[in-house]
Amino acid sequence: MTAINREEIAKGVFFNSVRDNRFKTMKITANLIVPLTKENASANALLCGVLSHSCKAYPDFTELSRKLSSLYGADLGTSVKKIGDNQVLRITASGLDDRYAFDGDSVARELSKLLCNVIFEPNLINDEFPKTDVEQEKRQLLDVIDSEFNDKRIYANSQLVANMCADEVFGIKRYGTADKIKECTEQSLVDTWKNLLKTAKFEIMYVGDSSPDLAEEVFAKAFEGIERQPQAVTTEIARKADSSKHICEEMDLSQSKLVMGFRTGTAIPDKDVNAVRLMCAILGGTANSKLFCNVREKQSLCYYCSSIYDRIKGIITVDSGVEGDNIEKAEQGILNEIEEMKKGNISDFEMEATKMAVINSFYSTNDTVGGIEAWYFSQLFDDRFRTMEEMANEVNAVTKEQVVEAARNITLDTVYVLKNK
Amino acid sequence: MNIQEIKSQRIGDSYYKIDHPTGLTIYVYPKEGYNSAYAIFGTKYGSINTKFSVDDENRITVPDGIAHYLEHKLFESEEGDAFARYAKTGANANAYTSFEKTCYLFSCTDKFDESLEILLDFVQDPYFTAQTVAKEQGIIGQEIKMYDDSPEWRVMFNMLEGMYKNHPVKIDIAGTVETIAEITAEKLYEVYNVFYNLNNMVLCVSGNVTVEQVLRTADKMLKPCEKHSINNYFDEEPYEICEPYVEQNFPVSMPLFNLGFKERADKILDVKKLACTDILLAMIASQTSPLYRELLDNNLINGSFSYELFEGPGYCSVIFGGESRAPKQAAETIKQYISKLKSEGLGKSDFEISKKSVYGDAVSALNSVSSISNAVVDYHFNGNELFSYIDAIADIDFDDVSTRFSEMLDVNNCTLSVVKQTE
Repeated sequence: MTAINREEIAKGVFFNSVRDNRFKTMKITANLIVPLTKENASANALLCGVLSHSCKAYPDFTELSRKLSSLYGADLGTSVKKIGDNQVLRITASGLDDRYAFDGDSVARELSKLLCNVIFEPNLINDEFPKTDVEQEKRQLLDVIDSEFNDKRIYANSQLVANMCADEVFGIKRYGTADKIKECTEQSLVDTWKNLLKTAKFEIMYVGDSSPDLAEEVFAKAFEGIERQPQAVTTEIARKADSSKHICEEMDLSQSKLVMGFRTGTAIPDKDVNAVRLMCAILGGTANSKLFCNVREKQSLCYYCSSIYDRIKGIITVDSGVEGDNIEKAEQGILNEIEEMKKGNISDFEMEATKMAVINSFYSTNDTVGGIEAWYFSQLFDDRFRTMEEMANEVNAVTKEQVVEAARNITLDTVYVLKNK
Repeated sequence: MNIQEIKSQRIGDSYYKIDHPTGLTIYVYPKEGYNSAYAIFGTKYGSINTKFSVDDENRITVPDGIAHYLEHKLFESEEGDAFARYAKTGANANAYTSFEKTCYLFSCTDKFDESLEILLDFVQDPYFTAQTVAKEQGIIGQEIKMYDDSPEWRVMFNMLEGMYKNHPVKIDIAGTVETIAEITAEKLYEVYNVFYNLNNMVLCVSGNVTVEQVLRTADKMLKPCEKHSINNYFDEEPYEICEPYVEQNFPVSMPLFNLGFKERADKILDVKKLACTDILLAMIASQTSPLYRELLDNNLINGSFSYELFEGPGYCSVIFGGESRAPKQAAETIKQYISKLKSEGLGKSDFEISKKSVYGDAVSALNSVSSISNAVVDYHFNGNELFSYIDAIADIDFDDVSTRFSEMLDVNNCTLSVVKQTE
């Protein structure tokens, strides 16, 4: 795959670029990475929205939107993620590659400038953000928090993590709390902004055909004169659950949700991460997995039943949608499949097929702009970058014994049930 | 065998259309430098095709949800299921049933020929018995219940029920627990034999592939089909909606709405009308529009707001929707804005901006092998073509869009559907 070029352009500010001429679009993202805290999570998330709402050059939301649309439907978007014990604020500009513009417009140049504008030159009036912008973004962020409850699969997964990691940083929600959002003001957000420019680790990711030099220059210049004290990016790993807890909530629904959280004892940069990755995929990561074939197909207990491994936090979650009367049967069915793996009941076919499926998913990500960006970005939390070929070799080298060992190391921490009344 | 190259002068991409002697239409869209390939084998048969006849013989009626049920069951054969076979190639396989089509697909980065062979084999090889059919009731029953709990799904189907008096688009794609209980192996064979005729199907592959490669496997695997004429029947649908307002209570913390404008649906839109409609909707409701701003400033919508053209055989509508704490006011604001535009006319600068934006989105979609394959299949079933749609966007002028506007978005013919918390 195309290699990544990484340069530190200011203290704790990294400019990562991948040149690729296969795509019709380019994308540039500023990732601001800070430790997740109860005090700051809400203000950071809110600020992210306020910054993308307007800037000094385009102080009006509609004018900014019209500028983007006239750049062939370019997009300026933000998102807030929780990665390990960190909060990642993403501000992304993406648009058509210059080759496809009607009349020699340079979309890449305009978008790089625009992205810098919203981050470094916000629409401040007397050292305050405009009240209407702040109120608008506050309302929308509160709506986002409320809407999480609308999708019961998302809600159930979120409740599992909140309960399982109640005493850990990871238990804090990515947007913080509604109360903390309401406390933010036009003045306090200016401090939040200044603090982020000073203390966040910046990982800027560029993927496109045009030269990234201009974008790199614009960012390097923007950081001149900004005092930098970047904070460390770490994650605390609970290796083992000493006992497990059950939590049940009742609601007026047709289908119940069962979510189970396990500690794996392994997280990056541990060397046996790929054994756990494979173990999780054999359990419930593919359409040939044990959960899919047995709990769904043979026992006909649920429409979905799958497992996912968070290799930064070191936990596996299994989630499924089941009939209320079948919750216990499904839970037992899931635990049985894990027991089978602990006993070594994994066929050569399961090993080979799952390796192929995992490696196929690696290589597929190389065919999209977002996939390439995500591939490298997720590795910023690892000890070093690996190409897909290297990672595929590591996965292929995993033995059945290592997978069994990984299965033996997992411990059930929390079971969360959303039960239909 | 006729192989036609379809080239876009504007974008520089090409793809190929092949009329295979077995009756199947095949498209191959090579993407240089890509690792992956994405294949779809689809039939023009979806949830709405419940009344039909073949070669003008007797009219047949089948239970709601049977197309989707068939999709699930086709993965099984006497030797085992297709997923187990794909496991040997590493491909990522799936399938979906929509209102007007059923598609079987896979993506892979290795062993493409073997995976294509599996796809063409299992879709052409039905195997249904009383036992295997009965077993699926549990899984599909759970799938139906999952959708019953989805407020987004419910708000849309409630709207469709409010808009359509007779058209089966208002019926859930998976049917109901009651209708799927009527499905038998015999009925599955009956619909299979009608709609899974290669003359009614399409194969589209994009990515790291060549025409020769696809044809090699196609020549080996495809079984020639005799052409029949299939007639689908839909009860006559009045122009008017049934109900202007429908509501359902649900455990949600953010209420949702869908405002659907019922449009005339005598025939599928051609690329020019499609492009005009896409530009028009962006002018009216994208983030650049005065309407979006008004809705936002009055706290009537949030970032979840969206709009779409929803079209298929015998149905066509424009849907605006999203979360809102005041859905009735949001709908009223949208209707008033459209009425105002109807009397005052559209804005020229809005047109220029939206045209560029719609064009950029269409070109960007050519990045992705899955978007390409899905789009080519859709255009094929609708009698349209992908690149002519992109050319149509570039060629459209302001008057074209104004003309299109005059024939659609009747503010007296729309349904508002709301899902909100029990009071």
